[in-house]
Amino acid sequence: MAVPDSVAASRPTTTSPKTPAATTNRRRPDAAYWLYLLPGALLFLLVIGGPLVYTGYLSLTRWSGVGEPSFIGLENYRTLLTDDVFWTSFRNTVAMIVAMVVVPTLVGLVLAAVLFDTIGRRFRPRTAAALRAAFYLPQVLPVVVAGIVWGWILRPDGALNGLLDAIGLGALSHDWLGDPGTALPVVMAVMIWVQIGYPVVVFMAALERVNPELYEAAEIDGAGWWRRFRAITLAQIRPETFVVGLTCTIAAMKVFGPIYALTRGGPENATNVPSYFAYFTFFKRLNVGYGSAISMVLTLIIVVVAVLFIRAQNRAERRDGAL
Amino acid sequence: MRRFRRVAVVAMVAALTATGLAACGDGDDSGDANVLKLWHYESANSAMGIAWDRAIEIFKEEHEGVEVRFERKAFEQIQQNAGMIINSSEGPDIMEYNKGNATSGLLSSQGLLTDLTEEATKRGWDTALSPSLQTTARYDNGVMGSGNWYGVPNYGEYVMVYYNKELFAEHGVRVPTTLAEFTSAMDTFVAKGVTPLGMAGAEYPAGQLFYQLALSRADRSFVNDYQLYANPVDFKADPVRYGAETFAEWVGKGYLAKDSASLKAEDMGTAFISGKTPMIVSGSWWYGRFKSEITFDWDSFLFPGNTLHAGSSGNLWVVPETSKAKNLAYDFIDITLRPEIQALIGNNGGVPVSGDPATISDAKDRRLIENFNAISSQDGLAFYPDWPVPGYYDVLVSGFQSLINQSKTPDQVLDAIAKPYQDGVAEIKRD
Amino acid sequence: MAVTLATPPRVTRRPADRHRRGVGRWIVLALVGAAALVMLVPFAFMLLNAFKSPGDYSTNGPLSWPTEFYTTGLRTYWEQVDFPVKLWNSMVISGSVAVLAVLVSLLSAYALGIGRVRGRLWIIGLFLLANMLPQEALIYPLYHFAKEVGLYNTRLAVIIIFTVIQAAFGTYLLASVLGTFPRTLLEAAALDGAGRWRILWRVVLPNIRPTISVLLVFFFIWTWNEFLIPLVMLIDNQTQTVPVALASLQGDRLMDAPTTNAGSLLSLLPAILFFLVFQRTLARGITAGADK
Repeated sequence: MAVPDSVAASRPTTTSPKTPAATTNRRRPDAAYWLYLLPGALLFLLVIGGPLVYTGYLSLTRWSGVGEPSFIGLENYRTLLTDDVFWTSFRNTVAMIVAMVVVPTLVGLVLAAVLFDTIGRRFRPRTAAALRAAFYLPQVLPVVVAGIVWGWILRPDGALNGLLDAIGLGALSHDWLGDPGTALPVVMAVMIWVQIGYPVVVFMAALERVNPELYEAAEIDGAGWWRRFRAITLAQIRPETFVVGLTCTIAAMKVFGPIYALTRGGPENATNVPSYFAYFTFFKRLNVGYGSAISMVLTLIIVVVAVLFIRAQNRAERRDGAL
Repeated sequence: MRRFRRVAVVAMVAALTATGLAACGDGDDSGDANVLKLWHYESANSAMGIAWDRAIEIFKEEHEGVEVRFERKAFEQIQQNAGMIINSSEGPDIMEYNKGNATSGLLSSQGLLTDLTEEATKRGWDTALSPSLQTTARYDNGVMGSGNWYGVPNYGEYVMVYYNKELFAEHGVRVPTTLAEFTSAMDTFVAKGVTPLGMAGAEYPAGQLFYQLALSRADRSFVNDYQLYANPVDFKADPVRYGAETFAEWVGKGYLAKDSASLKAEDMGTAFISGKTPMIVSGSWWYGRFKSEITFDWDSFLFPGNTLHAGSSGNLWVVPETSKAKNLAYDFIDITLRPEIQALIGNNGGVPVSGDPATISDAKDRRLIENFNAISSQDGLAFYPDWPVPGYYDVLVSGFQSLINQSKTPDQVLDAIAKPYQDGVAEIKRD
Repeated sequence: MAVTLATPPRVTRRPADRHRRGVGRWIVLALVGAAALVMLVPFAFMLLNAFKSPGDYSTNGPLSWPTEFYTTGLRTYWEQVDFPVKLWNSMVISGSVAVLAVLVSLLSAYALGIGRVRGRLWIIGLFLLANMLPQEALIYPLYHFAKEVGLYNTRLAVIIIFTVIQAAFGTYLLASVLGTFPRTLLEAAALDGAGRWRILWRVVLPNIRPTISVLLVFFFIWTWNEFLIPLVMLIDNQTQTVPVALASLQGDRLMDAPTTNAGSLLSLLPAILFFLVFQRTLARGITAGADK
């Protein structure tokens, strides 16, 4: 069921003045909507805008967190450019994006579709709900706890090696988190485990917006599962796919908790990420100025990525018109 | 306009719900001096926890009508936010805080801690504590060792070798008294296919073993250079070089497990408790737990041949400048140094800083304390390897993980740990 | 009267494959079920170690069956951290944030997605900043602001901060969803004389209820598990949350594994309960397609 409507048609053709007046003018439907933005905007300025400017200022100072900051200009940024750890941490971010965005989104799409379309409709809906709960459970687990539990499993004398021994693959047992070669892939696997439930839940909620008639009609027309998945599921839940993609990317770029709990950036910085590096600089090296500089650079990079993402989303929306 | 009013009402209601929720329970204290807010982060069943509970009781008996508001804190929280907490009106009147330049030293240099010098002389704390214990109590512009008193320790700690007597007997190994005997004892275990030394590369044990090895070739002047910045330290020369190279050699000989790089101290401890490891080189903080959990026969000896040992006073009692009950805080500190409380620390597996070991009933406990007193009286406490500069702990962890994994040579590791040290010291000297 | 998406009356003709005794669907179920079980393994470990005595744990490691049913860890944790107080604080903070953030998101998204105000992309991007900023970068400024206005060490400070952070996500999600909202419905309602305010509550809200429930669940659980900002902002035992209390078990150098596990279990339960309660809301759509 396509709604005969397009974004372009709903755009006001009259040019609104630069300052939105708070009057309800039938001619300019968007003016009154500004009021609805007020609570969000005020809170935002207070909690995000102000602190961001403040952090920007701190990044130009030397400060240990107590006493008075002393202004040093761009020195922190200069140091940053030649800081190996900083660059290593950014390389690891790419791995985090694979583990927290690419894999969970793709797997999540298929899982959500299978749970919704196959299991939800061919078995009792309870079954689908229970399975979804199982996938979502790691999201509920406090990150610190997840770190402890996985730490046990991956220890040299832990469950994973015990299991390998038991099935006669003792030769494969390994110091998973201690070897710089395997630490990052293992952390990535844990991150997939943590992340997977989030896209599943979002996509399943999205599928509920979809008119079941569409599937029924397609089935009667003899479309197989894969055709239905591509033509209906993917097309219908595109907004959520973008949302999940972007929010996971942001989360991956500023991932902190799991790294803190699992490896503290070790061994030998093999799993260090910018956010943990910043935290470490703030609270362990007591170098608030430098930590602020790291955070500012990280924020800037995230903003650029997000802008590109939102642009792509917008283009896609325009192409589709509104579904 | 009606529409606008509706939006405004919703926003108001939202704000009110939130404030209403916040209003209950966040009472603020108008602290007149009949309340003592006391924070520490020792677990309830540790020697310090037990002794300080008793100290609080005594305090209450002696201060009728004073309410003690005790809160047990998360170590991580105090570590991370001490500056913020003490800088606000919400902090405690007295609290436990870490000793060292990056912690108590830093806060004292910013004027956030009360100067206790006058109280220390008036109440005799300066005579109760040996000079080597006073090192961590006094700070001059944030650097420990001299200057005014900003904190008072009431227990001690040091690094030793714990050993499993049954495994020693089984493999015919005697307690070593020199470094050479120590290595030959370990050779015996290796020959039998047993890894002699428990290790944890992800936390402090690796760095402490390296430091013990370096100290075997060092004297007090090295400690003054390394810890108090008296002179620059050459990392490419002994004793530091010896420490790193010997550590690498021990890994190569199989004295410690090559897959211990990711282990935490807890793992090393539980492996010793379960009787899998003949020896671990670690601190007196394990002692009480070993005593209550180990089922086989075990004991400890000092790191063989060393006159200097990693160790120091315990954490400090500090009084924030914002404290509203300073006199009560001084009284409490005084109580913790009394023989009764010190004996409680000693009888529960801790190391008291004053008092007579003869009053301790258990022979093993007595040895723990006598060993500490011996080190302390010879001025043999060398503090810890990660103390000199903030954030150095993680630098050392990362460096020695490389040695355990054999992914870097000792030379490369020395370079990796030298630079942060030198940068950090330059930073401290600049202030 | 709520206007919902026009769902035609339920077709009485059943899809053919409901009668097909397909083996395929069982294979799919088995595969997905196996994956779900793998997801649950770490939780089994937690249960296994929560009721094991410390000595048993030290001797036999984390993988053995407990030799006795040891509940002291649970009790110690409950008493030591004054769990009911922490639970209440966490509930208050997470609950308020979930409701307030959904409200703020809905209002903003209405303006952005339905109202399509000018420059909405930039506004969404700006709001999203709240989600993009690494939290540790906000800590020092937020501490100073909170201290200035006397909110340091109050739950309100944490509620306000997380309302903004979560609402950033909510605004973005809802604006994206509402961007594809059928205009015909809005126009029909407008022709009936409904104002914007009424359209929001009577037309828009009922149609995005599943997404709103998901947001409520997410916000509650995300806020529940937050650690860094509560650790900095809430320094009193009277104001602290469950995860911060959990951290207080991990001392300087020692950590009693069973107590930690018991504490983890306790801190996990409320969030799980919350999720399970909301499963019903989430599951409504699934049931719609099912044959009763």
